[in-house]
Amino acid sequence: MNWLLFFWTVFKAVLFSTGGFGPLPSLHADFIARGWATERQFTESLAIGQITPGPNGLWVASLCYLVAGVPGAVLSCIAMLLPPLLILVVELCYLKIAGRAETQGALDGIVLVIVGFNTLLLAKLFLGLGIDLQLAMIAVASAALALTRKVPAILILFVAAALGYFLG
Amino acid sequence: MDDAVSIRSLFGAWLKIGCTSFGGGAVTQYLIQETFIYKHHWIGAEDYSRIIAMSQIAPGINILATTILIGKRLGGGMGIFVSLMGLVLPSAIITVGMTAIYVSLSSLSRVQAAMRYAFAAIFGLSLVTNWRNVAPILERNRRQGSATLAASIAVMIGTAVVYALLSPAVVILYVAGSLTSALVYRRAATKSPQRRTK
Repeated sequence: MNWLLFFWTVFKAVLFSTGGFGPLPSLHADFIARGWATERQFTESLAIGQITPGPNGLWVASLCYLVAGVPGAVLSCIAMLLPPLLILVVELCYLKIAGRAETQGALDGIVLVIVGFNTLLLAKLFLGLGIDLQLAMIAVASAALALTRKVPAILILFVAAALGYFLG
Repeated sequence: MDDAVSIRSLFGAWLKIGCTSFGGGAVTQYLIQETFIYKHHWIGAEDYSRIIAMSQIAPGINILATTILIGKRLGGGMGIFVSLMGLVLPSAIITVGMTAIYVSLSSLSRVQAAMRYAFAAIFGLSLVTNWRNVAPILERNRRQGSATLAASIAVMIGTAVVYALLSPAVVILYVAGSLTSALVYRRAATKSPQRRTK
């Protein structure tokens, strides 16, 4: 494995994308073309990234572990940490125009888009599970418990997974 | 809000999120809100909303950009470092560990069922997270007038409809949504002084 090339491939994919799944097209094209990963490894790492702690983007660490072991996972984490630091430049620009109504509108618009987009994507993934009454009840109960802010999220997930393991 | 947040407390808060946010980005964002806005009151809901919006413009993983900005707000350069390490180190180690375990167990039907149920819970949690992200904006819009509120709801629903029907590049949705809202806010800002003079 050419580690410098490996690092650059991951870094480039993260730098020229946004969001947890943003690096997918670039990584998929490069990793498959170089014979570093299989389609199944992509599917597995994406699924694992949905349930493990931290940002969704850590599916990249899962993929890099599958194809290049611990060194690959470590290099991928470094490659993922560097591009978001450019937020400090974005913030500097934002502070110069923060008082304008258009600036607030533009930022609020992005959040509105993300909420609409995310809700649709997650709903599609949820429906793709082959939804039944039990799954719908788990989703509703989880949302209701989260709204009360009295039950930790990890407990909600653990109970849901345990119910799936024993009843599903 | 508390201005005197120690580096140790900040690292501890992120470390806890990094170790317990099973469920990916949706749960991580939920726990960030829960920890920094509602539990410790270190960040205001309005400020958090701005941080979230700015984070979408930065390249790479958005939650890491959010982490960087919160770390900077609460602890400067060292705050950024401990925030990133606190979140990423444990979650990356757990992710790699679970990858190794999952590969050996993924063919078991009970494990697949547990994953389905866990994702249903993740979906429920993500609905709450999205609502918490958008609620301060809609409340502000309500104060600005019904036209602004209606426009924001239209942007949110319109995004989902356009993506479902046409599947355009996400960046096009970002640009269209932010431009629309910028124009709506500008119009509301120019109208409000006129209202006061009538």
